[in-house]
Amino acid sequence: MTASPALSGLPGGLSLPQNETHRPMISVRNLDFYYGEHKALRNISLNFPERCVTGMIGPSGCGKSTLLRVLNRMYDLYPGQRATGEVLFDDRNVISPDIDLNRLRARIGMVFQKPTPFPMSIYDNIAFGVKLHETLSRSEMNDRVEDVLRRVALWNEVKDRLHASATAMSGGQQQRLCIARTIATKPEVILLDEPTSALDPVSTARIEELLDELKKEFTIAIVTHNMQQAARCADQVAFFYLGELVEVDSTDVIFTAPREARTQDYITGRFG
Amino acid sequence: MTETSHTVKSYEQELELLRNIMARMGGLVERQTSLAVAAVIDRNEEAAIEAPDLDPQVDELEREAETLAIRILALRSPMAVDLREIVSALKITGDLERIGDYASSIARRSMKLDIADSGISLTGLRSMGRLVQDNLRRVIDALSQRDRDRAIEVWQADTAVDEFYTSMFRELMTYMMEDPRSITSCIHLLFVAKNLERIGDHATNIAERIYYAATGQMLPAVRPRGGLAASAPSRPAE
Repeated sequence: MTASPALSGLPGGLSLPQNETHRPMISVRNLDFYYGEHKALRNISLNFPERCVTGMIGPSGCGKSTLLRVLNRMYDLYPGQRATGEVLFDDRNVISPDIDLNRLRARIGMVFQKPTPFPMSIYDNIAFGVKLHETLSRSEMNDRVEDVLRRVALWNEVKDRLHASATAMSGGQQQRLCIARTIATKPEVILLDEPTSALDPVSTARIEELLDELKKEFTIAIVTHNMQQAARCADQVAFFYLGELVEVDSTDVIFTAPREARTQDYITGRFG
Repeated sequence: MTETSHTVKSYEQELELLRNIMARMGGLVERQTSLAVAAVIDRNEEAAIEAPDLDPQVDELEREAETLAIRILALRSPMAVDLREIVSALKITGDLERIGDYASSIARRSMKLDIADSGISLTGLRSMGRLVQDNLRRVIDALSQRDRDRAIEVWQADTAVDEFYTSMFRELMTYMMEDPRSITSCIHLLFVAKNLERIGDHATNIAERIYYAATGQMLPAVRPRGGLAASAPSRPAE
């Protein structure tokens, strides 16, 4: 199954701004991935266009989260997992062994399904990651914390209790804090693995609204089980099934007239 | 279209019900149209009365379809082929309802028509009526079978209906110029022809919707025209 050449000229869907060129920020080429003997991704080729939201959908076990974990080498934390092929980011292959992983993960940030605040204050949750990569004065750090909290629309809610524990916040606030923590290190790409699956509809809407803002500056890849969420947030959508990329196209094409029967069966609820 | 059915059976049943309502509407307006043509051409008075009598049933079905479609949109968040089918159903039922109205209008007009000794020939109108009925029957078949190829055939065949209308217009104009006493009858017949032409247009709209629902592609806004119609305007200036 071949993917559409999303990179060299994205399909002319309505979702993508036509007057801008979106060069590929990350370009995956012929990627295979193995959990031990099990091949979890098969010959994936997919582009993540700059300052666009790429939604990744598919049934459980289809490989979408695996792909996300390859993009910033999360899989390195586990023995027996390996990738072959190319993941080009800034002209370098992310999966080659000589990549500086700390630097990579600062440039390609990740937000997980469940909010994962550190057991420290709201302020320190943000400052902690920044300190690993930059040396800022106190006032610069204060500015950075305020800036990112404003961008995730959390500032007004927490400005009076920056030194209170982050774990006392609501789930939606915690997730927005995690996004703030991710963007505080000034990444180029943000990976989100089902970021709203543990949140109520209002918190979910806030995160989705936030994605619209963030994509002006960052390239975003989001894995979601919620088809409506992919439809609402993404500029292009990739459908995975059994470790294969079945189809990638602009969001409006995927949800109104997908080309592949398997995509159609999945998004219309006819699977299995 | 896809053969597999929804994992959620009640969703499948709702879509099936929507198709069923469209099929019933299609059957009714097909009957109304054939009654209307019989009322004019064969001077069949019973047909002239029956055609408008079917209108309330058609209207009621249109309302049912709309309610059901909105319900499915709200509760199921349909995607892809389902979304296209439901949105198309909203438009198709609107077209069917209009076809029913035009047929009723023709049937009512037939009762005012008195052409016994006027020497006006109904040959052209008879052929036009046959062609429109044929297109309508085929588009309703295409609808029930979701058959895009047949939809394209109907879409293309409407050119001939337009040509019939143009020639009817000229013919009736000639009668009126020759004998002003025929003007009332000719005007009535001209309206009948115009209504038949409109029925043809709505059948074409339905064909376009069937094609879209089946393929996700829109047929071009302008039909490719050939023969006579390529050089002459398809409709007289109104």
